[in-house]
Amino acid sequence: MTAASVKPSAFSSGSPLRRIGPWLLLGVVIVATLSLAVFGTRDAPTIQDRVSSISRTVKCPVCSGESVAESNAPASQEIRRDIAVRVQEGQTDDEIRSYYVGRYGEAILLTPSASGINALVWILPVVALAVALAGLVIVFRRWSNELAETASPEDRRLVEAALRGDETGSSELADPDDGHGEGDSR
Amino acid sequence: MNVALGRAGVTLGLVAAILGVITVGYGLIRRRPDLIRLSRAYAVLVFVGGILAFIAMERALITRDFTVQFVANNGSSKTPALYNFATLWSALEGSIILWSAILGGYLVAVVFKFRKRLADPLVGWALLTMLVVAAFFFFLMAGPANPFKNFSPPVGFDGPGPNPLLQNHPLMAFHPPMLYLGYVGFTVPFAFAIAALATGRVGEGWLLATRRWTLIAWGFLTAGIILGSWWSYEVLGWGGYWAWDPVENASFMPWLTGTAYLHSVMVQERRGMLRVWNISLLCATFALTILGTFITRSGVLESVHAFTESSIGPSLIAFFALIVFVTVGLIGWRGDRLRSPGRIDSPLSREGAFLANNVLFGAFAFVILLGTVFPLVVEAINNDRISVGVPYFNRMSMPIGMALLFLMAVAPVLPWRKASAELLRHRLIWPAWIGAGSMVFAVAVGARGLAPVIAFGLGGFAAGSAGRQLVLAARRQGWRGLVGRANGGMVVHLGVVMIAVAFAASSSYVRQAEFTLRPGDIAEFAGHTLLYEGQNIKEESAKTLNQALVRIDGTGPWAPSLNKFANGQTTIGTPSVRSTFTDDVALSVIDIRGGDDPSVTIRVTVQPLIIWLWIGGAVMAFGTLLAVFPGKRRNPIDAVSSPLAGTAPPRPEPESDRTVANA
Repeated sequence: MTAASVKPSAFSSGSPLRRIGPWLLLGVVIVATLSLAVFGTRDAPTIQDRVSSISRTVKCPVCSGESVAESNAPASQEIRRDIAVRVQEGQTDDEIRSYYVGRYGEAILLTPSASGINALVWILPVVALAVALAGLVIVFRRWSNELAETASPEDRRLVEAALRGDETGSSELADPDDGHGEGDSR
Repeated sequence: MNVALGRAGVTLGLVAAILGVITVGYGLIRRRPDLIRLSRAYAVLVFVGGILAFIAMERALITRDFTVQFVANNGSSKTPALYNFATLWSALEGSIILWSAILGGYLVAVVFKFRKRLADPLVGWALLTMLVVAAFFFFLMAGPANPFKNFSPPVGFDGPGPNPLLQNHPLMAFHPPMLYLGYVGFTVPFAFAIAALATGRVGEGWLLATRRWTLIAWGFLTAGIILGSWWSYEVLGWGGYWAWDPVENASFMPWLTGTAYLHSVMVQERRGMLRVWNISLLCATFALTILGTFITRSGVLESVHAFTESSIGPSLIAFFALIVFVTVGLIGWRGDRLRSPGRIDSPLSREGAFLANNVLFGAFAFVILLGTVFPLVVEAINNDRISVGVPYFNRMSMPIGMALLFLMAVAPVLPWRKASAELLRHRLIWPAWIGAGSMVFAVAVGARGLAPVIAFGLGGFAAGSAGRQLVLAARRQGWRGLVGRANGGMVVHLGVVMIAVAFAASSSYVRQAEFTLRPGDIAEFAGHTLLYEGQNIKEESAKTLNQALVRIDGTGPWAPSLNKFANGQTTIGTPSVRSTFTDDVALSVIDIRGGDDPSVTIRVTVQPLIIWLWIGGAVMAFGTLLAVFPGKRRNPIDAVSSPLAGTAPPRPEPESDRTVANA
């Protein structure tokens, strides 16, 4: 895992600079590209673009699970027109969305708010992932500790017994022909 | 006649399954090989029962036998032949017939494949489990979802036909059977997992025996999901292909856990580890297919795909509870034998990467399950109604997807046991440059924004890594290097990268607009020129198409339409899509006015790279085929890396041929 533990091999080529040089260059290219991607010129979103991006987050009030942008229901067409009017009036995205929440209730938004019990839908995945990762770390810790462990006296006794060909000792051992735990009924 | 034939089939299947469970179960407990071997006969009878029911229903549909209530509810004399055939799976009762027939087919396939090992308790318990599942589905047909109810049609009766959306595109004939072949296919590895727990032979034997079955089921599920999203793109007309709808999520969750299993199983094959985890993943996959059927068929969640609702909810949830209970109980009971003998030396190793893969896939499945059922939970707790939709799922899946792409890039070059930084530097430099190159290319052609450009870079990185493996394998072994699980898997990875990049591009750079045009009007949008030529009315047997003829950049005319179906009052739109390798222009009619007003309102959706979703799907299917075919045979339970000095003596490998013979 660490560079120090690496033995020189056929593909390592001498000086540290020659080894990490290509990666440094790569890092520079990536940073440059990403900054261009973030700060480079791009077309300003048109009113139409804003209308469609807002309407993708508003649920069609009369359909099942579709957004206003997707649905062809008259109610959705009406809301799309209304969003367009509000965008032209200069309202912000959040103002428009909170207007609809006031009119139809929380269920009109396809993104649950991060307050009250609704916040759980955002928090729980993060907690679950954190717990899983913590579990992995603990397991790896335990595994690396086991590495240091030496055989117990019991183990030594069993090995010695097996080496002597002692029947009484080996009967306690798992079947030596059964390395993968297939059991006797195999 | 058809009712009688169908009921005979259902009864035959149900009785055969129940008798099979009793006989095989008794034989297994009393150790009577002669009784266990009878599973062959019962499996064949269950299959015959399922096929009889299938034939009876198809015959009723084709002859428009409206004395069968299912046909009266869903059939119509005006439905064209292909959709008439597909009507069987357009509603709940018929789809249970398809499910049972496919399950019968898998039963017979298992009996045939393991014909020399039928008396083996492992195979016996597996067949017993499959017979229990079959008994459940035949019970559904006999009781709560009976497709063969009588109906006395009045003179001149004609049914309404299937839901108009389901007779609008030929993909409807292929997508559900594929999906069911996938769903039902997971019964086989699930049954062997239960059998391994029941017999206590929790080692690698059952894994190897079911490895190819799992891959095939996974391949069908993948193909079914992608065909489904293609169908919704071509039919639903909102310009999208994946809406994170409960039905879509229900198919995606078992796919995620199944994919996690396909990866982590390799750790167990090589190292004998993760036994509990693999069994749990497999059982979760199967349980999720049942839970998914419950979610989508019981009407607890609203969905655009839930074309039927019925009273089978309680049965399904009970069966789901039974699966979870039995699995957890068995794992607890066998806990002592399941303890893994090995350990993972370093997180920076192939097995470490598979663990990380499993954490991510597990988190992904959890997010989707949470988002899907969360509105129900909130409503149950404080009676609030909320919605969890596309923006939530997109936001949550983006970081997971990126982490998975990164893993796809790094994992294939990692050796087992332990990797060194030097090795990674050497093996990853070219894939990393390919990733950087794809970022540069994307920005050069105008891509902007942090998340999509990173996604393109990671996509290139992962593709480079998969490509590197394939090139090395092909250089070593020629075309044979591409066959087999490892390299077929790399081809699958290439398909996944195509889909991930297409998903990132299309969802980041989608442009949508509405235009109201009169004949001769031209609209410019997102670099495309649209010329509206005029209306056209087209009569077909089942529907009347009101088309708007539009030229896109001079090509066409493309003809999105609003369709009026003969029997229904509903009007549904059919979009028209011009696909190129760089972008798709999808047109759908929002309003088409008749009479004096020749104007039309159309919605234009321009999304880049859509076609790569379908190409990626085809590549994934092809890669799965490569992985299923036997590559260069290596005994999968041979030790590949020598054990660390002083920790374990070399083990003899007895009778390994016998295990592999059925792999």
